[in-house]
Amino acid sequence: MTAIDTPLPGTSDRFPMIKIVSIAIITFVVVSPLFLLAVASLKPDRFQILAEMGSFKAFWVDNPTLQNYRDILTFSGNQPFARYLTNSMIVLVFTLAGGMAFNSMAAFVLAWGRIPGRAIILTAMIGLYIVPQESIVLSLLNIVNSVGLADSFSAQILPFWASPLYVFLLYQFFSQVPRDLYDAAIVDGASPFQIYWKVFMPISLPALATVAILLGIETWNQYLWPLLVTQSNYARPISVGIAGFFGADSIYWNLAMAASVMMMIPVLVLYLMFQKWFVSSVISSGVKG
Amino acid sequence: MAIVELKKAKKSYGAVDIIHDVDLRIEDGEFAVFVGPSGCGKSTLLRMIAGLESVTAGEISIDGEGVNHVDPSERGVAMVFQSYALYPHMTVKENMSFGLRIGKRPKAEIDERVAVASRILQLDQLQDRRPSQLSGGQRQRVAIGRAIVRNPKVFLFDEPLSNLDAELRVATRVEIAKLHESLGNTMIYVTHDQTEAMTLADKIVVLRKGRVEQFGPPLELYENPDNVFVAGFIGSPKMNFFNGTVEKSGIVRVAGAEFPAPFSAKTSQPGSLVTIGIRPEHFDRDATPDATIDVLVDFVEHLGGTSFIHGRLADGERIIVERRDVGDLKSGKSIKAGFKMKDVRAFDAAGLRIR
Repeated sequence: MTAIDTPLPGTSDRFPMIKIVSIAIITFVVVSPLFLLAVASLKPDRFQILAEMGSFKAFWVDNPTLQNYRDILTFSGNQPFARYLTNSMIVLVFTLAGGMAFNSMAAFVLAWGRIPGRAIILTAMIGLYIVPQESIVLSLLNIVNSVGLADSFSAQILPFWASPLYVFLLYQFFSQVPRDLYDAAIVDGASPFQIYWKVFMPISLPALATVAILLGIETWNQYLWPLLVTQSNYARPISVGIAGFFGADSIYWNLAMAASVMMMIPVLVLYLMFQKWFVSSVISSGVKG
Repeated sequence: MAIVELKKAKKSYGAVDIIHDVDLRIEDGEFAVFVGPSGCGKSTLLRMIAGLESVTAGEISIDGEGVNHVDPSERGVAMVFQSYALYPHMTVKENMSFGLRIGKRPKAEIDERVAVASRILQLDQLQDRRPSQLSGGQRQRVAIGRAIVRNPKVFLFDEPLSNLDAELRVATRVEIAKLHESLGNTMIYVTHDQTEAMTLADKIVVLRKGRVEQFGPPLELYENPDNVFVAGFIGSPKMNFFNGTVEKSGIVRVAGAEFPAPFSAKTSQPGSLVTIGIRPEHFDRDATPDATIDVLVDFVEHLGGTSFIHGRLADGERIIVERRDVGDLKSGKSIKAGFKMKDVRAFDAAGLRIR
């Protein structure tokens, strides 16, 4: 779609080596821990992993084996890994479904509804975004416990259905849609919900993909909150489950590494699925300023 | 088919009045054009008829039925927007049928109506394209098609040609005129372009600052403007205006020249100030002019078929004279521009026509 034009004078690539070297360094810094993780997950001996950590041997495996993966997937005692993975998936799917619905509906109403005090609501939302989650975690825990949601999936899903950040992101996108498009739908007889669902949602896929990726990653990586609200393996997600490999008296590096690799896969898939829109939305939002 | 009637229609945002007590009646099958400069309220008035803006006071009725509190989709109107306002994620066919699908019409009827509209607008080959794959002119045709499909009593056009290039604008203008001829619906059309207004309208409504200055058939407004604003707005290049003084009964002095006053003696006292208006195209049309005026030529615009001479009168007032044949007229020369008294319009100090 984008044609490559001859660069304008003065904008040509004058320092190709600097560019290549800096990209290489950044790539190394970002990729090496992941590579190290993947390599370590193929080593069966947890003491060997620990011993080699910090030397170049950490980047190499002599006899790669999938034994660690087999172990964690078949293990069912105190660390039912498959259960954790399923739990995380359940939390992810329902948080995404509800989060996308509620955040986008709130954004649509804020952008196009007749709301008295819209500016105040928006200001309050941005204010809320600044408040760190950790500072409200105890009161939130109280609420969850008092409504009987302790150690449940709901406790991990419901609080994340509304987010000031995502409402604001989508609000900004929706409010840039030309007024004529909204009016055309009104004249065509569409109800507010139909305008939201049949016009605004389909044309907002880039913004929605961005929110889906950000919310998905945030949900998948939740640690403190599920650690507090889950007391048993019933609803415990993988992020908390992995911590179980780091026992009080022994640390199962090999299993933790394999589990970490497996934990990354769903997020990677999610990102690759929405990457096209994610990138395009970043670009177009840049152009629109 | 419907009469659109506005009775003391008013629109205010807070304390600011945008539309002041507009009284207007658009007949069944009439092509009415709202025209006026930016910010005159013409689009707001159209949106009030569409139901996209509420009416602060007064009443709007369509087909004899008050519609102040009727939803836009229930008013029997269809609207074509300046920006086309096509749904970017839908194909041409989906765009045109959206309203009918929302209204849960039977599929056969939807297909039939879309097919008819597509044939009228030559959109048959483009049914499965998305708006991004269409040219500006095609997009505007789809927008018009979307309106036709709704089978409305009244078509509303909000500056539909403004985003098109000059050639396409003329072509689409002709198409809209033909469409009106074949469909026969009441149409209301908003534009700031007086050429569009003159060529399309059965009735022109000239608006300024939320008030109707004058309405009537195009030639009526051209020949008999009620005030300086309408006289200046209708016609291109605009009418020349000169400051004049009533010398004595029946005589007006303009830039040193004297000629008989184009109004009855009793409407103006000697000594009172008047504005005299003569259209550029009304100079030098007759071999025996009633009066002439001296013009110092500044420059000449050659349009091929005709030329516009831009110049100044003895007192420095600007004037444009249209002539078919200017020879090698150069700036700095002086010419005599002749005119007939029947082509002269006069206005009082408040800008109102005196006859």
